[in-house]
Amino acid sequence: MQHIVVRYGEMSLKGKNRSDFERLLLRNVRTALRPWPDARAERVSGRILVTLQETSLEPVLARLQRVFGVISLSPVTVTDLQLEAFQQAAIQLLREYESQHPDRSHPTFKIEVKRTNKRFPLRSPEIADEVGGACLRALRRWKVDVHHPDITVFLHIRDAEAHVYGRVVPGQGGMPAGSAGRAGLLLSGGIDSPVAGWLSMKRGVELEAIHFHSFPFTSERALQKVQTLAQTLADWGGKVTLHTVHFTEVQTAIRQHCPPPLYITVMRRMMLRIASALAQQHGLLALITGESLGQVASQTLESLHVINAVTRLPVLRPLIGSDKLEIIELARRIGTYETSILPYEDCCTLFVPPNPRTRPRLAETEAAEAKLAVDELVADAVARTTSQVFLAPEWA
Amino acid sequence: MELYLDHAATTPLLPEVQEALTAAFAVYGNPSSLHRKGVEAEQRVEQARTQVMRALGVNGGRLVFTGGGTEANNLAIFGTLHRHGGRGRHVVTTQIEHPSVLECFRALARQGWEVTFVPPETDGTVRADRILSAVRPDTVLVSVMHVNNETGALLPVAEVAQGLRGKRTLFHVDGIQAFGKIPWAGRAAGADLYTLSGHKVGAPKGVGALYIRPGLEIDPLLYGGGQEHGLRSGTENTLGIMALGVAAERVASQAAAHWRQAEALCDLLVQGLSVIPGCVVQRPVVASPYIVSASFPGLRGEVLVHACEAQGLYVSTGSACSSKGPKAHDSHVLRAMGKPAADVQGTLRFSLGPQTTRADIEQALQIVREQTAWLSQQLRVRR
Repeated sequence: MQHIVVRYGEMSLKGKNRSDFERLLLRNVRTALRPWPDARAERVSGRILVTLQETSLEPVLARLQRVFGVISLSPVTVTDLQLEAFQQAAIQLLREYESQHPDRSHPTFKIEVKRTNKRFPLRSPEIADEVGGACLRALRRWKVDVHHPDITVFLHIRDAEAHVYGRVVPGQGGMPAGSAGRAGLLLSGGIDSPVAGWLSMKRGVELEAIHFHSFPFTSERALQKVQTLAQTLADWGGKVTLHTVHFTEVQTAIRQHCPPPLYITVMRRMMLRIASALAQQHGLLALITGESLGQVASQTLESLHVINAVTRLPVLRPLIGSDKLEIIELARRIGTYETSILPYEDCCTLFVPPNPRTRPRLAETEAAEAKLAVDELVADAVARTTSQVFLAPEWA
Repeated sequence: MELYLDHAATTPLLPEVQEALTAAFAVYGNPSSLHRKGVEAEQRVEQARTQVMRALGVNGGRLVFTGGGTEANNLAIFGTLHRHGGRGRHVVTTQIEHPSVLECFRALARQGWEVTFVPPETDGTVRADRILSAVRPDTVLVSVMHVNNETGALLPVAEVAQGLRGKRTLFHVDGIQAFGKIPWAGRAAGADLYTLSGHKVGAPKGVGALYIRPGLEIDPLLYGGGQEHGLRSGTENTLGIMALGVAAERVASQAAAHWRQAEALCDLLVQGLSVIPGCVVQRPVVASPYIVSASFPGLRGEVLVHACEAQGLYVSTGSACSSKGPKAHDSHVLRAMGKPAADVQGTLRFSLGPQTTRADIEQALQIVREQTAWLSQQLRVRR
């Protein structure tokens, strides 16, 4: 039998928020554990304790690392509240380290004790001395180094038992999936928007992705790429609904009725209008975009101002302060990068005029839309939108 | 409605092939096994070998079944140079070869070989004298395609073979777009090595072959159990090979009749295209009637393909192998012909099959007319 302690950010939460957080996180941890029927998860005073009967540890650790809301994880040995039990567990941990690092002739360690159970008769430094001494007697090659040890043996004295562990694996942090309501993500096939979606999911948002498809100006493969991205996001957050908007007529209407320098501005406004209508239809509380200030011509503050004017919903832009390199690094880490760089054209690249306005004004943009049948185009695009649900494998 | 005019990319399975495959599912033996099951499978493979060699119109020599046309081209080029590389340090090919040949020669250039890439004429054909004049006493291998996969240009391979007669230089022909279309294509080419592919003639993907003339030895690329005359180790793809045999026999028996039929359809298509406003037909002086390339300056090939697809017409930009994926780029063939960038961008390739009818061509022309007009209007391209 093996155990994993799952830590979460209980310090920042109070009252009902905290109990909601814990309930959702426990649910999400249990869902993540579905592929391993022998795994049990329960809440034990400010932690979640996972018990595995036979399953090996590493795949479970790797999966739980991806659960939003988890700060860190440790494989632990659970012992009785007996000094000898602590000593044995600590010696065992050091032996495991030895077998994994046979090249180290004189490995070093330290013992760190946390005693939340104040009824335990020894104080923390005394416990550390006793356990450390036992280790040195049992394992002759080892030395103590309190500043730069090869391994730190953590000993957590709790009310009913103690946890002994040597590894702390970082989690993603954030809030449990589903704790923050639903929002619409404007998902293109590019690098930025999936990352913006992921960051929102990390704060508990349930995503409904909205994609604008302009066949024949964009291909079936471009749509497949977006579907792959939606699935990758669902693998993190559990569930992502993808709404595919038929955008061809809107784009051709813009080409016909608007001045070329404002194509992009008007197109983004049309996208936001359609997304807002879909948000109303599906009860979404905000829209999310991958825009980052100044990255491309359409992402100046003037441009965002003019684009934003068509909606009353909050438009969240999680990447607003990020540099491209930071975005790419995160995209690689969450697994969307390789899909995003596939070379199929998305609709933004095809209707780019030679001289786009980088600092459009609201009045000129509204004038530019005068000949555009905005309401009909939006209603028609919304009516022709199709939806598809993507689930993480353990949710299916 | 489905109108498939992309036969140079791949072809649907022939009904005879489907039938033969279904029956062949029961023949599961390993041709190398000593027992009856093995013998049964071996006989089928040998039967297919005979069928393909007859379709090529060749007597004697060896036919090596491979995992497709690309592998056969690689085997021909590297297998020849591994064995005969001591004769010299120079090789010759053309600028308009398929990537499965071109990339081999680029790799050879990186390995220190001197490579001459002979340029095409502006119409897309390559002159035999240009190829032959590139040949030197230390030229080990010349590789020239029989029919170009993008423009349909028919290359003068027989003349090149004639010109090389009596020389020690070996001659390889990539016949992937010619096999099954030009009657007895292998005999017609007269090369030392000839490549063909299964899925361009109604057999499934994953099988092809390299013909090697009598008396020529080359080295294998894959070593192992010594199957396929020791030139392609690995348990034979018996199902694919049987299918290729059936398809080869079928297409060869009607090659001449189908060619004449394709010529009539090709004329109709070329005429119809040339009257569409803004359309430039790229027609080499000598060309296969099965492939027609046309460009629409100012439009994008990819968008045109999707616009036609929405109406049920399947065509391609350039060649299917290079029109998507990380290596997607402008056509190297059209660039070598000196075409302006805008023309190259808006190029469509129509490729016919033996099943294509006059009505298909008329309908395709109608769709292309409508879609290019619509797109030109959307993109405000002046005509």
